[in-house]
Amino acid sequence: MANPMEQFEIKNIIPIQYGEYDLSFTNSSLWMTLALLSVSIFLFIGTAKPQLVPGRWQASVEYLYDFVRKMLDDNVGLEGRKFAPLIFSLFIFVLACNMLGMIPWVGSFTSTSHISVTLGLAMLVFIIVCVVGFWKHGFHFFSLFWPKDTFFPLAVFVACIEFLSFLSRPFTLAIRLFANMTAGHVLLKVFGTFVVSLGLFSDLPFVLGLLPLSVTIALTGLEVLIAVVQAYVFALLASIYLNDAINLH
Amino acid sequence: MPQFDLANVFVPQLFWLAVLFVILYFGVVRLTLPKLGAVMEERENKVTGDIAAAEKSKLDSDKMNEDYQAGLTSARNDARVILADAKSKATASIEKKSAAAQKKADDAIAAAQAEIEKAKASAMSEIESVAAEGASAIVERLTGKTPSAAAANKAVKSAFN
Repeated sequence: MANPMEQFEIKNIIPIQYGEYDLSFTNSSLWMTLALLSVSIFLFIGTAKPQLVPGRWQASVEYLYDFVRKMLDDNVGLEGRKFAPLIFSLFIFVLACNMLGMIPWVGSFTSTSHISVTLGLAMLVFIIVCVVGFWKHGFHFFSLFWPKDTFFPLAVFVACIEFLSFLSRPFTLAIRLFANMTAGHVLLKVFGTFVVSLGLFSDLPFVLGLLPLSVTIALTGLEVLIAVVQAYVFALLASIYLNDAINLH
Repeated sequence: MPQFDLANVFVPQLFWLAVLFVILYFGVVRLTLPKLGAVMEERENKVTGDIAAAEKSKLDSDKMNEDYQAGLTSARNDARVILADAKSKATASIEKKSAAAQKKADDAIAAAQAEIEKAKASAMSEIESVAAEGASAIVERLTGKTPSAAAANKAVKSAFN
């Protein structure tokens, strides 16, 4: 039975060494580049000739952009519109990485199943939230952790918890995405190997493999859904965290 | 899990993620989305403008309709006034004419009555004189004396009354 973790192996394509740092172009980098390329093609075609009455490409880009803007309007308010390009970039990049990882047979690699990648994105969100918060409110930003009108010792306790939960945000954000993608792909791989091992049962060839095959097909549908939902959740949480920085409470 | 082999996989992935995300943000999204945003805003403005124009036209047409209705009402009122005027004029003239006719008839009746009175009076006086003559003749036959005309007349008058 093939190791279901094998699909997450990082393979060097172009080894690059810069001083003591290993900056090799790996299969992960390759699939992130492909994600960037597909997003670029989508966006550049969609906005090549913006028209008042949009064509299909423009309408699809507009739909996604409007979706992100509406999410920001709902969660942050009008001030959040400035961050629409950022949230849009996060959303579409995560979505593209998730979806490209679902392509079978071409040896696709899901970059978002690596905590290095998701943590990088989550840290970006965290740093931006902190910068925006301190930029806008200065040290008053710390009042985010302070519960209003609460018994003082309790307030101190709650503030500590709030602060810890604030610090853990990038990790929960990163782990949520990474764990979802990893678990889904492991599951797919496990049921995929079942298809082979059960299908090889020599007294009744192929027939027994149908059950795990149908499960794999159903799981593929589920994984596509999860790929979209997790990209959405990532963008949604990023905008909710931004709301904390912009509006405090 | 290869994911947790952070010593080997973290730096290269983070480096390429940073490079690619910077390209995505500044080289792709920042270049394309604002164009789209402008178009979307323009469309929104156009739609709201069109809606406002449509609302204005509707108001105008409503006002026109109101004016039309008002004109209709005033014309109807005018017609009513004219009709009432004509009716009252006609009534007045009819009344005038009928009053004149009445007067004429009254005059004729009065004249006829006067004539009747006159005739009656003359007839009465004739009867009186005849009666006086008759009475004086009777008295003459009975007494052989002719009563004076004045006495006869007096007697007749007192008998008649």
